[in-house]
Amino acid sequence: MQIKKTGRCAMKAASLFNFISQFNVQVALNPELIFEKNGRFFLLNDLIKPLVNRDFFYAGVYLGKAKAGKFFPSFILLSLLAKEGQANRIVIDRKSAWLFICGRDVLRKSIVRIHGQAKKGTNTLVLNEFGECLGFGRILGKVTGLILGNEIAIRNVSDIGDFLRRER
Amino acid sequence: MGLMSGKDFFIDRYQQLGWKYRETKLRQTIRINETNAKGKNLVDRLEHLGVSLEKIPFLKSGYWVQSSKVSVGATAEYLLGFYSIQEAAAQIPVSLFTRLKGKFVLDASAAPGGKTVQLANLMENTGIIVALDVEKRRLSALSNHLERCHVRNTLVYLLDARLSSNLKFKFHRILIDAPCSGNFASDPVWFKNRTLKDVERNSALQRQILTKAVECLADDGELIYSTCSLEPEEDELNIDWAIKNLKLSIEEISCHGEKGLTEIFGTKLDPLVERCKRLWPGETQGFFVCKLKKRGVVL
Repeated sequence: MQIKKTGRCAMKAASLFNFISQFNVQVALNPELIFEKNGRFFLLNDLIKPLVNRDFFYAGVYLGKAKAGKFFPSFILLSLLAKEGQANRIVIDRKSAWLFICGRDVLRKSIVRIHGQAKKGTNTLVLNEFGECLGFGRILGKVTGLILGNEIAIRNVSDIGDFLRRER
Repeated sequence: MGLMSGKDFFIDRYQQLGWKYRETKLRQTIRINETNAKGKNLVDRLEHLGVSLEKIPFLKSGYWVQSSKVSVGATAEYLLGFYSIQEAAAQIPVSLFTRLKGKFVLDASAAPGGKTVQLANLMENTGIIVALDVEKRRLSALSNHLERCHVRNTLVYLLDARLSSNLKFKFHRILIDAPCSGNFASDPVWFKNRTLKDVERNSALQRQILTKAVECLADDGELIYSTCSLEPEEDELNIDWAIKNLKLSIEEISCHGEKGLTEIFGTKLDPLVERCKRLWPGETQGFFVCKLKKRGVVL
């Protein structure tokens, strides 16, 4: 992690940084540009920062929200992590990609490629065949091996189908 | 109130304005978010999913959905922000701004955010958009839209557009997609629910928004005013009032639509009001749009 853990903002953003580190990734986020509002974190840029006052509702890049000590990432943050070469990423096949955004877990046989760590209990980004980030999940067990593996390999934690669920 | 409302009342008004009423069934329309979809072969990908598209000739990134085997609002490509569902006429106002990259832009009535996302796309996420809306519930929808489409340059406030000058900013570009009475083509119970009183109330609100927005428009700035109302009180009559009272000029625009009306129920308006565009329902919903600038500013 290349993050200067200094200042009040960095303290507040600890859950965010802890979350990012779970993906075996190094992202340089400037704590001076991270703003927190009601548990929601936003990454500003030098243009937006001087214009923000405490009453803002949304600003810059939404990173996610912290609630009860847990961090819920935005899909912008996940896609930023997915662009980092060494991040834990798993590419799944087309059918499984559709099921994943419907909230389903990933079967071992649906995994096409693995990048980064794939140890049991770690978090991994889940990508479709085009390399687009669909969300993330937790690795439950062996992710390689028999092509016909019908076991659940990745538990769905969050997927972009959430945009539709929020509207209900 | 019976005489100032109802289908017959409004149809008669449209006839007096030179348009013969006909029922309209709108086609679903999408707009490709070009910045996000760059290099994605999006049209091919959607066709592969069973979505048949037809390019809309008068829009840069708009497509009609001819048929679809899947819900267009639930594909991975939609959820990844590669396109938005946005009615054809609603895609016009933002496209009328010039040189948006790096600019400081006000979206005065932003929710649910279709036009905000379009702005961010054309700005390629440079500059700043300040997006306002007066309803918190609608701001949540706006925020979801911004997140889905990976917008990075927007600052959102829960604020009435009539208070926009309180921000003390000067904007290079201002979009007033004004709260309006809507139109029958996009609202099946429109004739039942709307009265002339609603129209007049909205017209007054729109004038207040215009007045305050002009106060925060940079001297060389561009202001786009649009409504999805067919009622001239919210359209040509407001713009005629604006050029007479707010020192604004109407710019020539080139887009789909007919010339703005310059005679409304016997009242003659400034001839330059014809530079506005009026879209009667048909290929699109009903719509009105114009571009305004400050008059007499020596730059």
